[in-house]
Amino acid sequence: MSTPQSAGSSSAYHMDLNRRGRVVIVKLAGSVNMDVCDEVRDRLIEIVDEEPTENLILDLSELKFICSVGLGGIIAAHVRCRHHNGGVKLVRPMCEIRELLNVTKLTKLFAIYESLDEAIAT
Amino acid sequence: MPFDPQSLPHRVTIPSDLAAARQIEEQILRDSEHFGYAPECTFAIRLSLEEAIVNAHKHGNRCDPNKTITVSYGVTPERIVVWVRDEGEGFDPNLIPDPTIPDRLDLPDGRGLMLMRSYLDQVLFNERGNEVLLIKEKS
Repeated sequence: MSTPQSAGSSSAYHMDLNRRGRVVIVKLAGSVNMDVCDEVRDRLIEIVDEEPTENLILDLSELKFICSVGLGGIIAAHVRCRHHNGGVKLVRPMCEIRELLNVTKLTKLFAIYESLDEAIAT
Repeated sequence: MPFDPQSLPHRVTIPSDLAAARQIEEQILRDSEHFGYAPECTFAIRLSLEEAIVNAHKHGNRCDPNKTITVSYGVTPERIVVWVRDEGEGFDPNLIPDPTIPDRLDLPDGRGLMLMRSYLDQVLFNERGNEVLLIKEKS
């Protein structure tokens, strides 16, 4: 399932979703900025709530920007997955996003993988 | 915060509306690109602007479209200076807990102020807490 969004030149984001049983793989690309952050946060929560979800695997390899509200959506999804003994796994964040995760110390909360296959297999 | 926003060359007052605010953000980012700021510097100012404006809109003005946000800014080859004011009651930034402590890591909110302080050279509030001054030096 694909959810393309384009609220402006620097605010376009794209979300591709692929559910495999209790695992959901979401590719979140583009920019999650003030125009769309509430929408992205609500959508991530909805995705893990609509069916029991153990792991949300987020492919961030093409995510260029995310604000704290967007990060909050990932955290909220992680907490929900934890109820099913799982969590959020992040795949290949770009260097700016990786630094953001370091600054917020969210690297202590989320496992980060260098490939989608590794995240799925682990 | 002994700072006169009139000293900045640009001043815009907009309704408390994120779409309108983003246009100001884009203008500041265009100016920073014009002066050759590095991508990590542009990322820092973009992130901090987003956090300051969203705070002004949601926490300051409580999303009331009848209230306004005022942004004054100046971009020079040396630094980016932005001043943001909302019409809310203000807050005490010293009372905002550290979102990076283990007990608070899995809380979804409360990272905006910490991010501004981490990514910028200076973040200063007025006494009431409804004005914030953001300064990023060109590194």
